[in-house]
Amino acid sequence: MTDPAPIDPKLLEVLVCPLTKGPLVYDRANSELISERAGLAFPIRDGIPIMLIDEARKLDA
Amino acid sequence: MSEMVIFDRAAVAAHRDRAAARLGRVRPVLDDLASRLLDRLDDTGRVFARALDIGGRGAVTPLLAARGIAVVATDLSPRMVAAGHGDVVADEEFLPFGAACFDLIVAHLSLHWVNDLPGALVQIRRSLKPEGLFLASMPLLGTLGGLRAALIEAEAALTGGAAPRVSPFPELADCAGLLQRAGFALPIAERETIDFDYADPLALLRDLRDAGETNATVARARRMPPRELLAMALASMVMDGRLVVRLDMAVLTGWGS
Repeated sequence: MTDPAPIDPKLLEVLVCPLTKGPLVYDRANSELISERAGLAFPIRDGIPIMLIDEARKLDA
Repeated sequence: MSEMVIFDRAAVAAHRDRAAARLGRVRPVLDDLASRLLDRLDDTGRVFARALDIGGRGAVTPLLAARGIAVVATDLSPRMVAAGHGDVVADEEFLPFGAACFDLIVAHLSLHWVNDLPGALVQIRRSLKPEGLFLASMPLLGTLGGLRAALIEAEAALTGGAAPRVSPFPELADCAGLLQRAGFALPIAERETIDFDYADPLALLRDLRDAGETNATVARARRMPPRELLAMALASMVMDGRLVVRLDMAVLTGWGS
């Protein structure tokens, strides 16, 4: 197992949920940015956050 | 939010995905237009520290970095970002940036495929610091006007009908109004006209494809246009062996408030 590519900390400072504009939680182990308010997890692929609502994983309620 | 859906956003993303590997040939044009746009920064006499580049396709970020500005760049296309032209994949209609994060936001030829332009502008203004600058370029209605007219005429002659094959661009007067409604201070929309001279009419279509700028309207004809249609339309546009195509570009500036 290799560590997933980390996200640039400068990006984390400015990114919010595209739907709610609320905060995101960085789940490093799963390479996801989680918007609890929207119930969505946005994937990070090769260090690139994919902030598209269609690409996000729905969180279990 | 506007309910009007004019553009097929999945098609816009697909066109930009396809363009990611082919930008090389149109790179000089994108770079030249970006450089003209960013000349406006020097006119302001301000120093900017932190910029957002929306859909600049690698033409804007280097010019900002050369001015000592830290840049976050986005694109709708994952492949465009993976190709090094961005840091974040983001939809202009749902921008993922916090309030007052940037003192400069640049959208170089990237907002004309957005359905909810007023909504996108409001989100841009929200992410701009007070007294920050928003700078954008966008094709206006006259752009590709010759191609639009030639295609409609040729299609009507061949089939008796016509489908929209060129994007419906806004008019200059609309642009300033949109900026104002989105809450920007001192909104200005200016027109810049650039003529492109083609020796080979098909090269125009190839350049549009390489830039990711082919038609993505929902109402576009899904089947390929009949071969005679393109041949007839393009032939009618050639004058003295050359094809001159006009880019009527709006340069938009607005300040944070």
